[in-house]
Amino acid sequence: MTILEGRNLRKTYRLSKRSTVAALKGVDIDIENGEMVAIMGPSGSGKSTLMHILGMLHAPDPNHGPAPELRLGGEDVAALSDTARTRIRARRMGFVFQDFNLVPTLTAIENVALACDYAGVKGKAARAAALEALGLVGLADRAGHKPSELSGGEQQRVAIARALVNKPEIILADEPTGNLDSERSAEVLALLRQFNREHGQTVVLVTHDAEVGAACDRIVRMRDGRIRDDGRRPAEPVMAPQLTPVPA
Amino acid sequence: MRLVRDLGRRKLRSTLTITGIAIGIMALVVFGSMANKMNALIGGGSKYYQGKIVVSVGSMYTGGVQPMALSDVEKIQKVAGVAVATPSVSMMLSTTGGASMGVPDMITGSIPNGDKGLETFKIDIAQGRELNDGDANSKVTVLGSDLARELNASVGGTVTLRDQKFTVVGIWAPTLTAPDKSAYVPLAAAQDLLVGSLPPLMQSKVTASEIVTEVTVYPVAGVSPETLKTRLEALLGKDYTIMTGKDFDAMLGSFSAIFTMVLTGIALLSLLVGGLSTINTMAMSVAERTREIGIKRAIGASRWRIRREIVVESAAIGLIAGLIGLAIGAAMTFLFNDLGRPSGNVLFDLTLGTAVTAIVFSTVLGAIAGFVPAWHASGMDPVSALRYE
Ligand SMILES: Nc1ncnc2c1ncn2[C@@H]1O[C@H](COP(=O)(O)OP(=O)(O)OP(=O)(O)O)[C@@H](O)[C@H]1O
Ligand SMILES: [Mg+2]
Repeated sequence: MTILEGRNLRKTYRLSKRSTVAALKGVDIDIENGEMVAIMGPSGSGKSTLMHILGMLHAPDPNHGPAPELRLGGEDVAALSDTARTRIRARRMGFVFQDFNLVPTLTAIENVALACDYAGVKGKAARAAALEALGLVGLADRAGHKPSELSGGEQQRVAIARALVNKPEIILADEPTGNLDSERSAEVLALLRQFNREHGQTVVLVTHDAEVGAACDRIVRMRDGRIRDDGRRPAEPVMAPQLTPVPA
Repeated sequence: MRLVRDLGRRKLRSTLTITGIAIGIMALVVFGSMANKMNALIGGGSKYYQGKIVVSVGSMYTGGVQPMALSDVEKIQKVAGVAVATPSVSMMLSTTGGASMGVPDMITGSIPNGDKGLETFKIDIAQGRELNDGDANSKVTVLGSDLARELNASVGGTVTLRDQKFTVVGIWAPTLTAPDKSAYVPLAAAQDLLVGSLPPLMQSKVTASEIVTEVTVYPVAGVSPETLKTRLEALLGKDYTIMTGKDFDAMLGSFSAIFTMVLTGIALLSLLVGGLSTINTMAMSVAERTREIGIKRAIGASRWRIRREIVVESAAIGLIAGLIGLAIGAAMTFLFNDLGRPSGNVLFDLTLGTAVTAIVFSTVLGAIAGFVPAWHASGMDPVSALRYE
């Protein structure tokens, strides 16, 4: 089953009155349920922009071309209101960013519980879920630490705990290992891989690291605002009906 | 808890904002308490003057009360519609007439039970007894509560009023109005005191028992004080001041209005200063937390959540400032009252209403000041906010 289905996704940023940047120039993409997909490509090729659209942080541009389509689990989400998109982000998606993006004043467990809170789970239940998620990333003993008291790798694991505490259908990670050394990088990747395998969570991650890409099920390659290669095995060539001579 | 931590993060700025609002609230509390006291005094006076007419020559309130003759009382008594006209003598306790804040200490003399039961403004006795018919020619006094404290008097002791000694037979319960600062004596004693204070040349020309300073007139039931006033004016002419309850209200109502205006002015000023300062603090705090707001929005915080967070924080600043302002203001009013009490100058009356108003006012002010930054924050694009450095 296709969980995320995008057609004609475009995004143009307006820099000033006259100049615009076409970051995404018409992208068609399918993400299958339970897949772990890497998006790779040169800097500025539109990877993050695509992630923001898939993650409902931005809506695709509706004008200057064929109408964009975006379906989440079959449901049309291309033109939802901000409130509806926020709700989907809170309950059905988990985000991991390159620079961790934890709230600096909150402890690890509070950061994770915040995501529960936004998804409608509060108080004791939220704390319990947060602690469990921290346990899954191996940081139960750091629950009371502030981000500034944690290493980069630990911060990113807290962010992963936050991304999966609500058991979302999809985890979107924009260069999750970009700021980590290769050892921490491998840890984080292993965690994502584990949740993908054990809990069937769909993972879409952007990376510049070929090793990370290689660990995924599929690599989508982008260049200049378009998908150059969606990493699916080329479709089986359609067999022409063979006219084998009937043995006499 | 989290809120307090967030406030603590920007200590200096929050402190300045809180100080600004606290000063405004403190002023509100102090002046509000003063207005309370003032209004209680005016209210008491207003109640005292209801349903009666007070006739004098010159006015107590413009200074220079001149004596009138006892024969005037008989003239007034004969007017149609007058139930009782009873004479009294009032003077300031101090012979030098030095100005003091608020209501001056007074000596009032009248005939015990001269009102024939028509007086509606009754004051409870706290200790001792009221003056009665038997006191007519004695040097006895009933003291108001503030004056009793000021003179350090107790029932059975003696006090010196002007230069004569009086035995204290009773002390009134506090009324929070003018009688608290009065000494009540029999008419003859007051007449004696008044004449004693006249210049020697005049003393020989007057008979003490013939002079009064005021006549209190009670109308017959069904006759309005205003009707009676017209008749008395016709009889007595322009030199006499004839005051009804309505006249008193008209005179002091404007006083009260000025006070209310001053108070409102202070409130508006503190609203402006405190409000702008809070908007500034919150706007800067929002700018500082742009990234954090981006994170929260990205992981699913609704716009309303972000707004609520900021408005609540801003209201908390207002509440804290209000509590501090109230505490300082209350301490000041208590201190001033304590300092003033020995001289009978209790100028402040901090009521629960004033305290609650101050707190609610500053909290609401804080919340309102948070609206602008809150709307700004919630309108930011989460992705741009995340990129913000
Ligand atoms: N908010 C924005 N305003 C203007 N231009 C933008 C904005 N965001 C992205 N762009 C531009 O759009 C293009 C695609 O950006 P995007 O961030 O998607 O690239 P990327 O593939 O993620 O690059 P990187 O690997 O460096 O993260 C770039 O040219 C970028 O400068
Ligand atoms: Mg990027």
